[in-house]
Amino acid sequence: MNYCMSPDVVCRFIEYRRTTVVVLGFIAGCCTAVLGNAVVGNAVEPDTLFRVPADVQAVFRDNCIDCHNEDVAEGNVDLSRISELGSSERFELLNKAQEQLHFGIMPPEESVQLSSVDQGKVLKWVRAELREHGASRLEDKLRKPGYGNYLDHDELFSGRHTHLQPFTYDRRWLISEFIFEARFNEILSHRPFKTIDGKRQYVIGDNNRRVNLTNPFLLPTNTGVRYYANATLNGGHLLTMLTNAKEAANHMLYLAGRDRRYVPAIYEIMDMEWTHARTLADREKFLKQFIGTILGEMYGEQHVALLPDFKPVVIKSSDSTGIKKSPFHAAQPGAQELVVLFHSMEKNRKDGDSDAEWIDKCQRDWFNQGDSERLITTRLTFLAGYLEEFREQVVRHRYAKKHKLPVYRPRADEEQTEIENAVRENRKSGDRYVEIINKCLDQWRVQFQNERQSVGVPAQETIGALVLQLYQLLYHRPPTEDELVKYGELTHKYLGQLGNLAGIKKLIQTLILKTDFVYRSEFGSGDPDEHGRRMMSARDGSYAIAYAITDSSPDSELEKAVAEGRLNSRADYRREVKRMLAGREQYYVIDEAVQRLQLTASITNTPIRKLRFFREFFGYPQLLSIFKDNKRFGGNYDNAKGRLVGEADRLVDHILNADKDVFHELLTTEKFYVYHSGDNAAMSASSQRIRDIYDHFKGVDWKNYTSDDLEVHAPFIKEVKMRGMGRNPKDDLRTFKTVMTSFTTRFDKGQSAAAPFDSFPAHGKSNADTRTGLQLRSPEVAKFFNIELDDWNYPVVQPAYVQQRKGMLTHPAWLIAHAQNTETDPVRRGRWVQEKLLAGTVPDLPITVDAVIPEDHHRTLRQRLDAKTEEAYCWKCHQKMNPLGLPFEIYDDFGRYRQNESLEHPDNLLKKGPDKAAPHVDLRDTYKTLPVQATGTLVGSGSDLLDGDVTDALDLIDKLDRSERVRQSLIRYAFRFFMGRNEMLSDSRTLIDADQAYVKSGGSFDAVIVSLLTSDSFLFRKENQH
Amino acid sequence: MATNRRVFFTGAALGVGAATLGTGIRQASAEEVTSGYPQRFVFIRKSNGVRPDEVAMPTFSEADKKRDREKEAFQIDLANHELPSWMRPLEAHKNQLAVLQGLSCKMSENGHWSYSSVMGAFKSGRNSLSGIKRATIDFELARLSPSPFGHVELSLTGNYSTFRTGIVPGYSAPGPHQRNYCYADPQTAYNELFKSVANPDAVASDNAMLKFLQAEESYKASVLGGHEKRKISNHVGSIESIQARNLEVEKMSGSIAEHLPEIASVHLDGGHNATTPEKQKAMTDVLVAALVTGLTNVVTYTIDELSTPVKGLPGNEGDHISLHELGHNGGYSGVAANEIREKVRAGHMDQVAAIVEGLKAAPEGGGNMFDNTVVMYFPENGEGHHSHGTEAPFVVLAGDNCRLDIAGQYIRFPFHANEGHKTIGNWYTTLLNAYGNPLPHYGDLDLEMSRKKFDQVGAISRLVV
Repeated sequence: MNYCMSPDVVCRFIEYRRTTVVVLGFIAGCCTAVLGNAVVGNAVEPDTLFRVPADVQAVFRDNCIDCHNEDVAEGNVDLSRISELGSSERFELLNKAQEQLHFGIMPPEESVQLSSVDQGKVLKWVRAELREHGASRLEDKLRKPGYGNYLDHDELFSGRHTHLQPFTYDRRWLISEFIFEARFNEILSHRPFKTIDGKRQYVIGDNNRRVNLTNPFLLPTNTGVRYYANATLNGGHLLTMLTNAKEAANHMLYLAGRDRRYVPAIYEIMDMEWTHARTLADREKFLKQFIGTILGEMYGEQHVALLPDFKPVVIKSSDSTGIKKSPFHAAQPGAQELVVLFHSMEKNRKDGDSDAEWIDKCQRDWFNQGDSERLITTRLTFLAGYLEEFREQVVRHRYAKKHKLPVYRPRADEEQTEIENAVRENRKSGDRYVEIINKCLDQWRVQFQNERQSVGVPAQETIGALVLQLYQLLYHRPPTEDELVKYGELTHKYLGQLGNLAGIKKLIQTLILKTDFVYRSEFGSGDPDEHGRRMMSARDGSYAIAYAITDSSPDSELEKAVAEGRLNSRADYRREVKRMLAGREQYYVIDEAVQRLQLTASITNTPIRKLRFFREFFGYPQLLSIFKDNKRFGGNYDNAKGRLVGEADRLVDHILNADKDVFHELLTTEKFYVYHSGDNAAMSASSQRIRDIYDHFKGVDWKNYTSDDLEVHAPFIKEVKMRGMGRNPKDDLRTFKTVMTSFTTRFDKGQSAAAPFDSFPAHGKSNADTRTGLQLRSPEVAKFFNIELDDWNYPVVQPAYVQQRKGMLTHPAWLIAHAQNTETDPVRRGRWVQEKLLAGTVPDLPITVDAVIPEDHHRTLRQRLDAKTEEAYCWKCHQKMNPLGLPFEIYDDFGRYRQNESLEHPDNLLKKGPDKAAPHVDLRDTYKTLPVQATGTLVGSGSDLLDGDVTDALDLIDKLDRSERVRQSLIRYAFRFFMGRNEMLSDSRTLIDADQAYVKSGGSFDAVIVSLLTSDSFLFRKENQH
Repeated sequence: MATNRRVFFTGAALGVGAATLGTGIRQASAEEVTSGYPQRFVFIRKSNGVRPDEVAMPTFSEADKKRDREKEAFQIDLANHELPSWMRPLEAHKNQLAVLQGLSCKMSENGHWSYSSVMGAFKSGRNSLSGIKRATIDFELARLSPSPFGHVELSLTGNYSTFRTGIVPGYSAPGPHQRNYCYADPQTAYNELFKSVANPDAVASDNAMLKFLQAEESYKASVLGGHEKRKISNHVGSIESIQARNLEVEKMSGSIAEHLPEIASVHLDGGHNATTPEKQKAMTDVLVAALVTGLTNVVTYTIDELSTPVKGLPGNEGDHISLHELGHNGGYSGVAANEIREKVRAGHMDQVAAIVEGLKAAPEGGGNMFDNTVVMYFPENGEGHHSHGTEAPFVVLAGDNCRLDIAGQYIRFPFHANEGHKTIGNWYTTLLNAYGNPLPHYGDLDLEMSRKKFDQVGAISRLVV
């Protein structure tokens, strides 16, 4: 079970929240926005047994009824007729009341507040009433990711609760989108490779399988922590899994047929059927290739007389005058057909034949073979239009070597006799070859089917082996005795009713659709300790560790540890966790979406979930879904955004690999990757190469070069492999000048080095490569950092210093991800700081609020936002966000540093920028501006020394970096990420230990993970029946 | 709380719609049921763009031609005009025909392909799953018009040489980051959609499996409590709901048997030897039958994509035509690219007309099924082979009971990034608002319109009845 709080802890939590929770202060009308609206049941009849206790009635009468009666039902809540409600409406109302009181939202701040005694009376009664009917929703809500911070931070880290024994409830945890992919990749033997740093590496996370599966286990898109153990499978999941199961089963049968080691029992059961299928396929191929020869030998001179009457097809002649003819590649009928044409040509063309003669012979062959009139027409049309091109293709692609004409060799005597007998039996005068072949195949099919039917259903032993092997493959465990019996019987039934092939597929589908497949298990085993906790079973523990650090099931070392009884203690867990964190032999695709954009190399060999924690915590990949205007960016934003996210990933990865002062580095580093592959040596060489070219020509009048002038430098150009040169000599001069113009802009201001981007887009060799050996594209990523491509002292060694930046919150990827399409979003940025770094809470937006900032192109966004949110009603919430988000106004919505805000409106247009130009040119229009005002206030850092006004984001970040609370907030999010749940007060010791592990290790995030994954919260489980 | 039927189908609709099992029968709420008969929508996606002048009426006056050429807004009654020759198959349906000119689709992918994005009004980052930002418009409409399959997607695509076959990834999206399944050849579509009649044994074996699973998981749930019990109970509830859905489809067997299309033997095993027109015709037959039987009310049909091989085209029977090459003006067997492009479109119109006629032949109430249907034929990428998305002409056929004031009109909206301009987002919002989803705006906004501060949110009010 995965309750976040046991009843006793919840109770204590509620008690103490009454005094410490921040009063959120919403007016009564907003309550419906915060509350859920699910209907618990359908009863409409009033419950005659329901009574509101007298003391609670008194509280209602004295404090609530004025606003919640039949006439004035604030928030659509009427307490005066609660006794008349049917059970569903009553539970709905009580749930609302419970949550309002629990979160401190009711009564509203401006009203008279309930005494703690009165509040306790109501809460106690409401809780008891809901619990009695199993209708309480509060526990569900508290389990949700957005509600983790409602557990008071200071209490958690106060040290007053370390006597509580940490644990997690026994639970099933729905697999994630990542585990789904990894599981099916493993089951379907999909092992993709990539060339990384020049070596072929097996990668995880490249899910471009041959099998068409839809991933139903998608995680929510929030920032913070996305994968919680609360989710349950719904109808949508199961519908999709039904189709997935069919597709997977089909492919598994294909794999089993290709490799008998895959699931040996499948091969054993299917052996006869597949042998028959192979025999049929072999005979069909043999006959299709050689039936003319065979018939000739069998029938001698009679053969021709038995052939059908030839009916030639006529292709229309065409007048192509003035018509652009499609090139060969766009008219050819496909690789397989080209081979057929080649073989026909080889077979029928004799020396001295004209083209028409041998093509006619081919046509007769195809006709006798039984090819359709349309197919023959297509072949003849192709040969008529593209014969010369086809001949060139044959030579260039060495068809004679690669596609040799098959040579007839009769089969072994018995087989040859079988084939000839069937042919003799089935051939009728006038039959085309395909008709004879099909009749033979039909005859053999019936014969084989009868053979198989006589064998019957496979033996029980074989069926048992099948169940066992499928259990191992799909669940990584053997079936229990009961399961073996039950699934043995089911398999017997399937095979008997559906036949072997369909029966096995149905069994696989059944197993994939069970909860055992879609949920991972984390249960305690053995005897409970004095606190009622049991240590997680070794097998479940191995999965819990593996899925905490990777998306894959346990590796061989973990499996071995389980098998040898070496995963039974904290020390065992520590050993395995440390081993896995240290491993760098496995590569991962970080994000397939990033990888698709402009060939970006989105790869790492850091254990993927370590990196993913920070990706999700900062939320910068959400940039990808924000649609932005190229014109406002001043370049090709769509091209650059993938690189920006990829380079943010690389920076995080770099800091994680150093594993020193990780939080401090992430928050304050002034060094970034900007248009860099991550390979310093390669980037240095690439930059030096273009410098060599520039230096070689800079002293000569290359602008006025002729082809002859250029020819003089041919040896040099060849030696440096100048991009785009030499393919088409007539274009070389133009290409050369394009390149030199581009290089000159990068060097002529005395730049120390230049970014080695390409001067023009083209396939093939690039001036710089990604680590996966592809073109390093999108230099416009530099524009996000206010770097001008034509005036850049390119740092070949990165990460490198960038002005006006400090950590991930100033990385353009984070800034864009927390911005709107066309302007910044101080509220969102501030909310992120409040919730992620200060462990604070912000209520959901009430539905009564119109959250649109009014347009006014004479004022800055800040001025407009202030005017909207400084009203008392709004400020109650916005005071928690605006002062933390507005300091980031020194960056625009593309993450560019600024001192003035551009008032983008047609009325303010000063100068139109070009619509299209080279990458270094700024395409932006110029508008009137107003100065940026980026002051803010830090409240809630946990230190009076740090709280106070800040001048801008850089100042704010400095203070946040020095806050203990910020560090601890990160620890809390790490806890949630690795535990898959919100923390409870009983986890206090775990959190303090993890925090101390970080501090004592000099800021090692690995130390945090080790601490968490060896904590009681992770190791110990409790049964839960609530 | 165990999954009840309504929760299940809500989950299904919000989750993923496997084409084979659809998004489920949702009990339509009162506000969803806006007439006594199902509302149907057919989206027909085509590749290579539709050039705006291709859908202009040849009989326009010189003044109108000029306005059309210069992209000025105007509206004209089609009754007074001849259709372009390739659209002639629609002549008999001209009073229900509309041409929408000037809708832009710059917020979706342009260039060669748009993948899922043109029906979702978002940038998809090429064909990336995480780029799918929301449920596409067809799925949104399917939610308003529930049916056993919810939504059906068909496509005729390929790898330039051969057609794709079987069940393949589609272009529609049931939700963010989700890609639909799609039937890639007529025989597969037939086998899957009409399985209850065409292959009752397969349905029976599916049901037997579900029954086994139901018993198995129910037993597990019986020994659990609390949240863990709910997890297993939800699983059981989901199984039960699928069983109920299957039962519903089985009850429709009579209607399915009555309208079962005949699929020629050339389409067996994926139909590798079928010509493109043969495939199109068979797919149309399946599409019409899926609607007429009531298995679905929404179909999305990718009639071609740049990689779809074109074989057996009348006049070019022997050619293996690449649609992509047509976009680069390459001709075949002496026939110019433009002429072939027109023949391809004319073939499409034959299918559109067949869909309309198939639905008109099916009685419904006092009229026919087409009365409650909207058929849309549109380019996946915009105004040409390499589109910029400034224009995406829509050819629309709207039945008499449709809630759009559109029939019989040629409507040109103001050109992109001008005041009053309309995007596909406005058009899709119009459809949703007209059929019961009151959302303020569907899809991403056009950024140039935003930059120029033009109003661009909401339905196209003049088109709503």
